Amino acid sequence: MCNDPDVAPEIPDNQLLVSRRDAMIASVAVVAASHFAASARAQTGPRQAALPVSVDQALIIRTSINGQTLEIRIDARTSLLDLLRERLALTGAKKGCDHGQCGACTVHIDGRRVASCLTLAGKVDGREVLTIEGLAGGDTLHPMQQAFIDHDALQCGYCTPGQIMAAVACVAEGNATSRERIREYMSGNICRCGAYVGIVAAIEDAAAKMGRG
Amino acid sequence: MTTTPFKDRPRIDAFDKVRGATAYAADIPVPGMLYAMLVPSVVAKGRIATLQVEDAINVPGVVRILTPDDFPPPPEPVRFPNADAPPTLHRDIAFRGQPIALVVAETLEAATEGAERVAATFETQPFAATKRSALAVREEARPTAFGDAGAALAQATMTVDVEYESPAQHHNPIELISTTAVWADGRLTIYEGTQFASGIKEVVARILRIDPGIVDVKSPSVGGAFGQKGWVQQQTAIIARAAMLLGRPVKLVTPRGQIFHLAKFRPNSTHHIKLGADAAGKMTGVHYVADQQQSRRGTFPPDYHAGPTRLYGIRNYYGGGLDYRIDTQPPGHMRAPHEHPACFAFECAVDELAYSLGADPVDFRIANDTRVDPQNGRPLSSRHLNECLSRGAQRFGWSKRTPKPGSMRAADGSLVGWGVASGIYPALVTATVATLRISADGTTRFTTTHHEFGQGIKTAIGAVLLDGLEIDAAKLDIVLGDTTAAPQQITAGSWGTFSVVPTAALAVERMRAAISELLAGRQVSGAIHQQLAAIRRPFLTVEVSLLGPGQDAAALERLRRGQYAVAGPTFPDFTAMSYIAHFVEVQVESTTRRIRMPRVVSVADCGRVVSPRTAVSQVRGGVVWAFGAALREVTEVDPRFGGFLNNDLADYVVPVNADIGEIDVDFIGEPDPVANSVGVKGLGEVAMVGASAAIVNAIFHATGKRLRELPVRIEHLL
Repeated sequence: MCNDPDVAPEIPDNQLLVSRRDAMIASVAVVAASHFAASARAQTGPRQAALPVSVDQALIIRTSINGQTLEIRIDARTSLLDLLRERLALTGAKKGCDHGQCGACTVHIDGRRVASCLTLAGKVDGREVLTIEGLAGGDTLHPMQQAFIDHDALQCGYCTPGQIMAAVACVAEGNATSRERIREYMSGNICRCGAYVGIVAAIEDAAAKMGRG
Repeated sequence: MTTTPFKDRPRIDAFDKVRGATAYAADIPVPGMLYAMLVPSVVAKGRIATLQVEDAINVPGVVRILTPDDFPPPPEPVRFPNADAPPTLHRDIAFRGQPIALVVAETLEAATEGAERVAATFETQPFAATKRSALAVREEARPTAFGDAGAALAQATMTVDVEYESPAQHHNPIELISTTAVWADGRLTIYEGTQFASGIKEVVARILRIDPGIVDVKSPSVGGAFGQKGWVQQQTAIIARAAMLLGRPVKLVTPRGQIFHLAKFRPNSTHHIKLGADAAGKMTGVHYVADQQQSRRGTFPPDYHAGPTRLYGIRNYYGGGLDYRIDTQPPGHMRAPHEHPACFAFECAVDELAYSLGADPVDFRIANDTRVDPQNGRPLSSRHLNECLSRGAQRFGWSKRTPKPGSMRAADGSLVGWGVASGIYPALVTATVATLRISADGTTRFTTTHHEFGQGIKTAIGAVLLDGLEIDAAKLDIVLGDTTAAPQQITAGSWGTFSVVPTAALAVERMRAAISELLAGRQVSGAIHQQLAAIRRPFLTVEVSLLGPGQDAAALERLRRGQYAVAGPTFPDFTAMSYIAHFVEVQVESTTRRIRMPRVVSVADCGRVVSPRTAVSQVRGGVVWAFGAALREVTEVDPRFGGFLNNDLADYVVPVNADIGEIDVDFIGEPDPVANSVGVKGLGEVAMVGASAAIVNAIFHATGKRLRELPVRIEHLL
């Protein structure tokens, strides 16, 4: 990847761990110098690609993604999903319909579940985004992820990141109090393989472990 | 044959899947990638008159626009296995939604805007949008017939004569169809979620007039397939061509709205069934003609009789098939492609006949068992349908059912209906090759024919390897769907397990023999990795190939050339089928008539169960699919314009979590004694078969209404 002109060069860690306040102060200079901000952690964080084309409607947004402050110049037409997947190499959120109808792209913004395909990337300026990649860390699992394994709540796995992000929010909202309620509040996330029985069982199990059943 | 049940293990790839770490084709990062967007035809038939691309090329970021001028003329039709090579871009329009141009840009946003700015005009021609159109062409297929159906029906003491309709439906896996093509160093590499990597390799090479030897196809993990990804997609060669012309990688993720026109689909089919029984309650004769919508050149056969001919011991059968050729994209295989619509119709007809005779629908089915294949008199390799029915009835509590329609009520006043139906699917197998390498560094790599798309084939292979060999499970890598790793074959028709599990078992046997030979009597403790380290062997490899019963070396050769190498269900000495019985409870709300499905019991005979956890999930998924087919899914055609109207997931309604109640699954688990060394048959397709009939039969039991057209909707019960 490092020879690719469209991909940001890796920046030493000590230049990356900027606070959001620092990022805002520094942003104008950074953008002017390189057309993209550079605040991704080199090893494990999102990898940024430069916006490879000048567009009339460009925006600079400053946001937090999985706990990392990020400043990036975007095409104003870009959805949050496409920003995550195509610019930041965070491909856990999936495109299943691009119309907010399937839930495969579900992420959290300021703790609430949203369809990232229906969210313009410009809207996350100043807000905190959490994706499946940031739910636990490394090889550790969130209780919901472990429960999805234990109850085989998946087949092909394509909708699974969205299901898990929705499920974590479902518990946090207080909507995981019964199987019937879980089914209703998880019906924005389609599993075409039909693993619903396992998904409901996983959420019941994880809700108890998360202390919000 | 060992008959010990396999133990329950977690899905082998679940750890990556729950972390979003599994790479599907569109997730694979490729440096310098360009983005593509197709421009669809807005007419159903005709020819492109003008194609204006200037506005599109002026969109900042657009790099190139490919038009029909950028493609060689279509090759001679490739009947491979039963479909033409898909078209690339050309001026003649055969169906609404056919791609007419491809916009390639530096960003997805620019490609999308560019595609919207391509303007075309067309010389239109009259077209047929449905089977009933005046321009539809009727074409009769060769019938399946044995005995004398006419005489049997004439002598029957009770007959039913009914017509059922199954609508056009689209697979809609959640993964969108995508292609990423990389042209570098004289090789073309295609990343695509597919059930048929070798098909892409051969057909794309043929379309683009290049040597298949320079084409590599990788289908790393597939986000659901269900038959949609079993053939070469319309866009694959177009994207490959773009990458070769531009010298940069190109990725297309097809919008779902376009997929409804680009992908294959389950055709609308009508099933006219006459079914007769004698005074003793034995079914004696069937006259069954199915017709379906078909494209002008499509080859998906109207042969709906592989299942119904073998469900019961009916000795006299006439099965006809008809195509109505219209101007649509080609229909194709969608989960249980013939068996689901056929068994929906047939198992509803059986229910109607049982009611006409005053017989219990479970007892009636059990009384019509067979030990031989009625088509040809061959013995059945194994058949436990009656055990499925009786065990299912017991688990469901069938004995508490009162037969009279409308006679059972729930606590809230809803009408309760209990329905039953059987399902059947051929047991099929392909020639398969595999390479197993165990290394002293602790790793194991197993590469083989076939693809993973969530059905759990990797978990089943893992079960065989981990049961048979002392190896490190955490460092076991199972590589599928990669033409650079092993010759590939279409993975469909529930033949994955039957093909790869006995192959994996053979590899285990050979590996154990090879280790034993290497050790030559020395006692070395530890796992195989430690044994290899102790005798200073960095690794040990075995290569195996396996044919299905009756297959010869020609099948292996076809496999190596990427061609169709499938056998069954009729083998030289036997016929092999999988079976299932579904028991469904529906509740129909008395005021709204809303239909709910609170519980289902399904008991399957798929031979030996290799991966219990993923097998249960397959059956539940099949039941969910049957729910969708029975109560939700239809793709509507607009006869004025052709094409499919409800082309998104808000309007093409698939089952959601709130639709699905409890699904209790059990297996007979008896190994098939002759089909293969492990005793497996197939499961993923039979899981769905018959369950839609059980739902519709349950609705009859709840309401007294025989509904013969899917999907059943509230308005049908008002």
